[in-house]
Amino acid sequence: MGLSARARYSRGQFAGQALVLPAVLLVLVGLVLPVGATLSATFGAPGGPLSAYDAFFASGFRRTVLLRTVSVALTVTTIAVVLGFCTAYVVSRAPGWLKSILIIAAVFPLLTGVVVRSFAWLVILGKNGILNDALMGLGLIEQPLSLLYTPGAVVVAMVYLFVPLMILTLVGVLDAIPDELIQASASLGASPMATFTQVILPLAVPGLIVGAVLVFTGSFTAYATPQLLGGEQVMMMGTLMYQQAMVTFDWVSASTIAAIMMVVTLGIVAVMNSAARRLNPMAS
Amino acid sequence: MGKIAISSALIGLVALASPAEARTLSISWWGFNGEKLEAVVLAPFRAQCGCEIVLETGNNGERLNKLQMRGGMGTDVAYFSDSFSQQGIALGLFQPIDRSKLPNLDGNYDLARDPQGGYGPAYTLGRVGIVYDAAKVEKPITSWNDLWREDLVGGLSLPGITTTAGPMVVIKAGEHAGVDAFEAPDAAFAALAALKPNVVKNYGSGSEMVNLFSTGEIVAAVVQDFTLAQIQAAVPSVTWAALEEGSIATLNTVNIPVGAAEPELAHQFINFILSAEVQQQLAEGGVDAPVATAVALTPEQASLWTYGAELIAGLERVDYGKMNAAKGAWVERWNEVFGM
Repeated sequence: MGLSARARYSRGQFAGQALVLPAVLLVLVGLVLPVGATLSATFGAPGGPLSAYDAFFASGFRRTVLLRTVSVALTVTTIAVVLGFCTAYVVSRAPGWLKSILIIAAVFPLLTGVVVRSFAWLVILGKNGILNDALMGLGLIEQPLSLLYTPGAVVVAMVYLFVPLMILTLVGVLDAIPDELIQASASLGASPMATFTQVILPLAVPGLIVGAVLVFTGSFTAYATPQLLGGEQVMMMGTLMYQQAMVTFDWVSASTIAAIMMVVTLGIVAVMNSAARRLNPMAS
Repeated sequence: MGKIAISSALIGLVALASPAEARTLSISWWGFNGEKLEAVVLAPFRAQCGCEIVLETGNNGERLNKLQMRGGMGTDVAYFSDSFSQQGIALGLFQPIDRSKLPNLDGNYDLARDPQGGYGPAYTLGRVGIVYDAAKVEKPITSWNDLWREDLVGGLSLPGITTTAGPMVVIKAGEHAGVDAFEAPDAAFAALAALKPNVVKNYGSGSEMVNLFSTGEIVAAVVQDFTLAQIQAAVPSVTWAALEEGSIATLNTVNIPVGAAEPELAHQFINFILSAEVQQQLAEGGVDAPVATAVALTPEQASLWTYGAELIAGLERVDYGKMNAAKGAWVERWNEVFGM
């Protein structure tokens, strides 16, 4: 009887492992092996294991690109968090039918591709564009402003790109906060501001972190938007990596850029998680 | 090695899956003008050879990278602009062409027959020069040195260093500084830094540059002439500058990779596209400028192209071997000028 139970347990264990196996293989072949190959390529440069990294950080231009990319991604994340949170709060407090309409309106831009959405900003911010036409029509400027091909243009376009993601992430989290908690906070004498900072915000932190990580990684690794609205003048890590791989055919350099991007992303995500724990000890 | 082995295995599997009797010609090209090329080139050649044709499309860099990863296998005919085909030759990806199998070469301009030392011939040619919006630029542009003019501040676009024409701008910057850019790159890049205030954005593709004109961002650009028709469709007042130093020749070549499965068929195809008949139809259709001397075009048709013996004889040639050898260092320095 005992033997039979062990056999059943063993069969169950085997079945469980067999069910997991396809996913494990997929992750191994689709993620672990390519990432491993990319990383190992960076340590096999002829000048020594770290020579590819030495070369990257010895170049003032590449350091500028790295700092610019981090700076643009953090700026986009900060703006997206503020705009996304405000919008998500309004959406989550709206009555049912209006909430559906607002959510559809918020995610509507996601129905078009990244290139199309970035291209739209060429039409808006160009010298012959809608914004310059409006400013000149109002008599606020005499000559059209050069708004495109600046870090500002890249930030604006990426905020537009990623705010819907932040809103979607936060609406679910804010919806899950019971109204009774807010009413209890008010009945205990908390001002609306105190309720917001001491009840709503801490409970929304997990959603804020998930949204911020999504926006940061999306902006940090973006290619199409910096390419269209920045080009060589506002080069970022994604566009630099493309240049190294596809133009100079320097795959070691391109892999080094990819490895640095991975390390920076993991580092900043760790910092965000740490900040989340401080703001809300219950957050993981 | 691993990538090559996997690619070889995949190619082998594809070959095994194909019916033994059907010969297949694999062509790597850009993918532009697909319908016209199907009508003028692919359909008639299929009928002639009784073979199947498969296409790989993409820009120069992407396709050359793929070919390199496959160790020169998987493609029988490869279309590249001359700077990239020179790069492919340096990487050992192409085989020498047997010119005895290309009788149609005899009817082509000398410039196009053997531009890269025994490798693929050019099937079309063009030029790199300057275009400007005559409605907005008061004084006509007549020299490469005019790019540095003060009235062009904030109104110019250069081809990015990643494009065919980008490194040519470095050569012209050297000439502006009175030096050979290969011998004295510091002076050439100092001249480029002096040009930076005039540059709004460097473009990565022809369509991007056309957009820069149509959105009013630029009034002048260094371009390849095949984009002229598109630019003029968007902004009719844009005109090709008659430069006193002349324009720079660019050639598009066809090569046979070292791992081509059908080299005989590839030679037949190359000979086919160099025929005066095909070249005439492609030129009339607005697809490619002809390299066959027998092609006759009306002045209106010719206005699109680098056409005619006199014009072609006046074009400046670039040493792509030297240029590609310098390109890696130039890309870094270019980035430092325009990307900081």
